Amino acid sequence: MKKAGFIILLWCIYLPGLQAQSTTDLKFNEILVHNDSGYIDDFGQHSPWIEIFNTAFNYVDIGGCYLTNDPSDPKKYPIPKGDPITRIAPRNYIVFWAANQPTHGIRHLNFDLRESRFLALYDADGRTLIDSLSWGPQQAGIAYGRAEDGSLPWIFLPKNTPNANNNTTPRTSAAQQFQQIDPVGIGMAAIAMSVVFLVLLMLFIIFKNFSNAFIFMEKRKEQKKLRSLRGAGFPPDENLVAVGLAIHLYAKEIQEHEDFILTIKKVSRTYSPWSSKIYGIGGWPRH
Amino acid sequence: MKGIFDFLSHHLQQFLTYTAFANFTIGHVIMILVGLFFIYLAIRKEYEPLLLIPIGFGILIGNVPFYPGLKIGIYETGSVMNYLHFGVLQGVYPPLIFLGIGAMTDFSALISNPRLVLIGAAAQLGIFGAYMIALQLGFNASEAGAIGIIGGADGPTAIFLSSKLAPDLMGAIAISAYSYMALVPVIQPPVMRLLTSRRERLIRMKAPRQVSKTEKVLFPIVGLLLTTFVVPSGMPLLGMLFFGNLLKESGVTKRLADTAKGPLIDIVTILIGLTVGASTQATTFLTAKSIGIFALGAVSFVIATMGGVLFVKLINLFLRDGNKINPLIGNAGVSAVPDSARVSQVVGLEYDPKNHLLMHAMGPNVAGVIGSAVAAGVLLSFLS
Repeated sequence: MKKAGFIILLWCIYLPGLQAQSTTDLKFNEILVHNDSGYIDDFGQHSPWIEIFNTAFNYVDIGGCYLTNDPSDPKKYPIPKGDPITRIAPRNYIVFWAANQPTHGIRHLNFDLRESRFLALYDADGRTLIDSLSWGPQQAGIAYGRAEDGSLPWIFLPKNTPNANNNTTPRTSAAQQFQQIDPVGIGMAAIAMSVVFLVLLMLFIIFKNFSNAFIFMEKRKEQKKLRSLRGAGFPPDENLVAVGLAIHLYAKEIQEHEDFILTIKKVSRTYSPWSSKIYGIGGWPRH
Repeated sequence: MKGIFDFLSHHLQQFLTYTAFANFTIGHVIMILVGLFFIYLAIRKEYEPLLLIPIGFGILIGNVPFYPGLKIGIYETGSVMNYLHFGVLQGVYPPLIFLGIGAMTDFSALISNPRLVLIGAAAQLGIFGAYMIALQLGFNASEAGAIGIIGGADGPTAIFLSSKLAPDLMGAIAISAYSYMALVPVIQPPVMRLLTSRRERLIRMKAPRQVSKTEKVLFPIVGLLLTTFVVPSGMPLLGMLFFGNLLKESGVTKRLADTAKGPLIDIVTILIGLTVGASTQATTFLTAKSIGIFALGAVSFVIATMGGVLFVKLINLFLRDGNKINPLIGNAGVSAVPDSARVSQVVGLEYDPKNHLLMHAMGPNVAGVIGSAVAAGVLLSFLS
């Protein structure tokens, strides 16, 4: 019973993880309803098109999902399974042509984008809505899309960008920005050293307190043991101290006698360059 | 008869064009000499032989001249070396090495005296010092970050970060990092002597207390959560480091720990050493940038050593007599485990033959491993 519960718990943890890495990462990204002179399909026609963006950082297969422009018919266009072109690369796109010409290939839908102002993508069960979109009047040749891939708001884009990033403004990388703001590198050094210190300082604080707590607990344990021994009829403190002192002096004397005796024994552990304390003292390179 | 002769002559000529003699350049010769020098250092001087032999031999492999297009070279898609190099390019090998390091490392010295962890942070100054100098020398920020990490004195971390920030410079950065790691016993002692007085070198530190198993088990768990919550980009390295350490300290996964610190790390060391060495193909490696990287590598090691030693001197100002730290363990804040700790021990013994600093130096040394991985994570977050 416990085992079954454990498996169910694991499954519950695992399922949301699966969802996070699957078709739920797909989003409508850009559409062009009135394509009069722009992007042409593989038959040379100016058809309306829909761009879907994979927001995940892993491959997602859209095969098996459904596209529709009719809220009452979620399974209007089943996207065929098993075709390599339905597998969308991380942070990449797939474009479907919506001119009601399904015989032209699997990316050609059986409805026309101009028929309605609604679009939805359903999961393979035909019930789970992944993403939907509705729009107002559209202008010819101007795409309607997300200002940034995968994010809001939707705007009329300055450039049509099928299979490409919606944001076409030139952008600098994080490293370039850093270099522009901090050409000497002092800012980076200060921030990064602070972070490194902060992390290790936190480690220090935690283990310092942990060590203190541990030592305190050890002492308490010893005191408890001593009390229980005393309860069992052991001699009083003075006698214990005297016995302890005698043992200590005896041990010290032994130590003094053996002060110059050094036993060297070769350790037979496997040598590794990464952690070789065994060669610590003797393994000094020859000059 | 003439037809056969022409046929043989033609193919013989073609064969000759395929030989290394027909394709070698002065660059190949220089790199082969470098490879031979590495092998000499490893065998004759015993400088990090398990690293320098694979790297040195890899340099020889990578610099045998060949006719391009035959899927031989490490940079030719589909060649065997290219496949092996994949683990370097994609940052696969470094975390695996960190797994082995974690399974080998005993953090007791650090746990028993947690303040030593801060020395590991101070020594990361070498990374950012080199970063600043690299920027002034005309490297861009990503390249400067990748070069700076050499100062962390951690080969796997240097490979991991450069594969993300500046893949073109990875060969030079890796060779530089490993070379200077091997030369830690040569680079660090003069800096340590320069920055410390005789009195400071004679400071005796309290023996570290015994650390319980509970503390040892908790350390990798707390360490992982703490470091990666702040710097998630350090996860591949820190995650594997602490995972390996938990395998070791838990006491119930001895087989896994033995594999991680034995066969696994040996295999990965062979692959990483050989491919990093082979990636120094003269045609792509011998550039002015590579020379600059080598120079910056040396500077970063010196700055890192200075950072660690000076930091100890600084905190000694606030500590009572009897609690002071010997500044000779400051150099161990770089993560060249255990070489820099051995340097502390050897230099310390020169001034007081009974003052064994090795166990004390292991604290900042392993803290340096964590610190350099955190620093790599910070650079990755800012520059990628």
